[in-house]
Amino acid sequence: MRGALDGLRVLEIGELVSAPYAAKLLADLGAEVVKIEPPAGDPARRRGPFPGGTPHAEKSGLFLYLNANKRGITLDLASAAGREALDRLVAGADLLVHNVHPLDMAACGLDYARLATLNPRLVMTSIAPFGLAGPHAGYRGCDVVTWSAGGVAALNGAPGEPDLPPLKTFGDQSGFQAALTATVGSLGALFARLTTGRGEHVEVSAQECVAAILELTFEYWPYTGLVASRLGQKPIQPLCFMECRDGWIFLCAIEEHQWERFVDIMGNPEWAGLELFANRLTRGANFDALQALLQEWCRDQSVQELYEAAQRRRIPFAPVSTMGDLVASPHLRARGFFVTVEHPAAGPVTMPGAPYKLSATPWQLRRPAPCLGQHTAEVLAEVGLDTVAVGGAA
Amino acid sequence: MTGRHAPLAGLRVADFTWVWAGPFCTLQLAHLGAEVIRVETATRICVTRLLPPYPRDMEFGPNRSGYFNQYNQGKKSLTLDLKRPEAVAIARRLCAASDVVVENFAAGVMDRMGLGYEVLRAVRPDLVMIALSGYGATGPDRDKVSYGPAQVPLSGLSSVTGYRDWPPMHVGISYGDPTGGLHGAVAVLAALLHRARTGEGQYVDLSQWESSMTVLPEAVVSWTMNGVAPPRDGNRDAHMAPHGIFRAAGDDRWIAIAIEDDAAWARFARCLGRPELGDDARFATLVARKRHEDELETLVTEWTRERSPEAATAELQAAGIAAFTAATNRDVAEDPHLAAREFFVELPHPEVGARRHIGVPWRMSASDCRVRRAAPCLGADTDQVLREACGYSDAEIAGLRARQVLV
Repeated sequence: MRGALDGLRVLEIGELVSAPYAAKLLADLGAEVVKIEPPAGDPARRRGPFPGGTPHAEKSGLFLYLNANKRGITLDLASAAGREALDRLVAGADLLVHNVHPLDMAACGLDYARLATLNPRLVMTSIAPFGLAGPHAGYRGCDVVTWSAGGVAALNGAPGEPDLPPLKTFGDQSGFQAALTATVGSLGALFARLTTGRGEHVEVSAQECVAAILELTFEYWPYTGLVASRLGQKPIQPLCFMECRDGWIFLCAIEEHQWERFVDIMGNPEWAGLELFANRLTRGANFDALQALLQEWCRDQSVQELYEAAQRRRIPFAPVSTMGDLVASPHLRARGFFVTVEHPAAGPVTMPGAPYKLSATPWQLRRPAPCLGQHTAEVLAEVGLDTVAVGGAA
Repeated sequence: MTGRHAPLAGLRVADFTWVWAGPFCTLQLAHLGAEVIRVETATRICVTRLLPPYPRDMEFGPNRSGYFNQYNQGKKSLTLDLKRPEAVAIARRLCAASDVVVENFAAGVMDRMGLGYEVLRAVRPDLVMIALSGYGATGPDRDKVSYGPAQVPLSGLSSVTGYRDWPPMHVGISYGDPTGGLHGAVAVLAALLHRARTGEGQYVDLSQWESSMTVLPEAVVSWTMNGVAPPRDGNRDAHMAPHGIFRAAGDDRWIAIAIEDDAAWARFARCLGRPELGDDARFATLVARKRHEDELETLVTEWTRERSPEAATAELQAAGIAAFTAATNRDVAEDPHLAAREFFVELPHPEVGARRHIGVPWRMSASDCRVRRAAPCLGADTDQVLREACGYSDAEIAGLRARQVLV
């Protein structure tokens, strides 16, 4: 089956999430991706999760997910021979995406002006925590730092608990946001190349990618002079988590008709008629009282039954899905969302699949993530190089 | 920008989206130079036009929401009352003149309006169309209703986000929306590249639920491999310590710090004025630091709480340590680095004036990629779009307006 990006030749020099997810998005749409790892391997190989919790460089779940559909080679870019091999690969590539830190780029041979002399059609996309230019360009930053620097961390916390810190979201979400933005910029540059015939350098700052998703909170400052705080109660309710007898549910009944139908589901308790709860604003203002009453009722409910009952009345409640719930979901199964990849070392691994379904050029999984250096000889031979000569570990 | 080429110059996007996910998708296309035409109506105004914030010194109005004005920069607005058949015919003509159609209604709504993919591809065979729905266009749950805030718990993200021994938590934003919107932009761009090569258009079915799960692989795979999900553990990380957001001097001021390896720990110990801790058996290795993490965090906080987050950031970053203020919206708006990078845009808007907005979070060395204009007032471009994109005459437009079709 054809992919939307069939024939696109991509090089990735990526660690952990950002550049690897960008290259994965392209690979899953048909691009031919060669992942270049240092001899010690991408640190994602050390992150896990691992089968049985036992670390193994070929069995890290994060690595296996992010790098399926790619061929993998090792090059020591600290050596002249490694950088020369990179130059040879660049000469035949459409796109190079990397997340080498700006302070380390020159030492790895990543200078766009020079690479463009080897291949004027090359698009190079650089992902850095704070971008490549500006007073903080040399700053270090992993997810907790860039998620904080972009302003999302400060929005999350517990109202009434000022001693609890701003709360980071699970996983490397800055990395995923930077990856998505980098892919948009890269594809934009490839589209421009259809007209101009030339490549260009795309630069992505993870901090900016996080600041770009502040929803309505950023504009509170320029529009009203107010600082958004994680400590404030929501102005409208119910929009909250509740514990049921078998798990958690998220109540979302912020339109008046949704609230009325929810009251009906609860059997029209007397308290629901109180002036305190007359509209969504008073329900927000009196949330302490409301929360206790709702919790008392929810405690006896089943998550799935309440979710279905609400949805039948067009109330947008959602379960607080556990990983087990997701994998067992009949809907996700019917859509074929989860995919299982057979990996030579790790065996069958079930992971998230397509984020979208393209009718003419479907998302596809063609091969498992590469073992370290698995394709070094094969890929270097394609550009006329001998593995031993460049010091690559096969 | 003279002489620079906008990547999507000459491409037209008919944008039927509202709230956040869809508009965030089309915002990327506008940044890249596509002509994005929002199809809106005063009879059912986009939710974000009705949400705060709006300028403190002004009456509320549908053109004054900072939320709408942020995520609809660079787009045009056409008003059509799609409950009227004449308006649907205009919309169809717009789609026929467009390269891309984007919508994020509930599954089936476009079909019922007579604007489904099969109808539109008949008038525009190479059309790229994308639907960004909550649950996707197929499957037993396709008709369920989905609001942005509920996507975060539905996706599984809440079940693994939270303080240790606390209930599941939210993210602070409707995170499924931008994640879905960006995935949507990727799919559209890939489909456009395919179309450029083959002439073939296609339909993209994007489920926000699914695109949200693609950013949770560690949690999903932990379950499928080992039958356990990662526990909620606040800001800690299994592979780094200290790793967290620590109290700084000032009123509710905090700093994020991550010690990425043992060498960084030794440098950090020198910053703390306690170089001997670099070799201390309790802290010298990651395993030891994880074992003594409570004690470690107390040590860190004793140092951070005496310093402003900005001063602590400067000192730690000078030592090569990953750290930054847990920035508020004000901190972001006043970040000197972001200003130096010309990240912000302040374009004139007829009602709210030139307000600071977030610009394009990537840079292109050759292409013309930027915010081209402020967000449109409701219906501001109706006549121009009808004339230039759809080929209506001024007399026809006057007639449509008189018949209340263009509201």
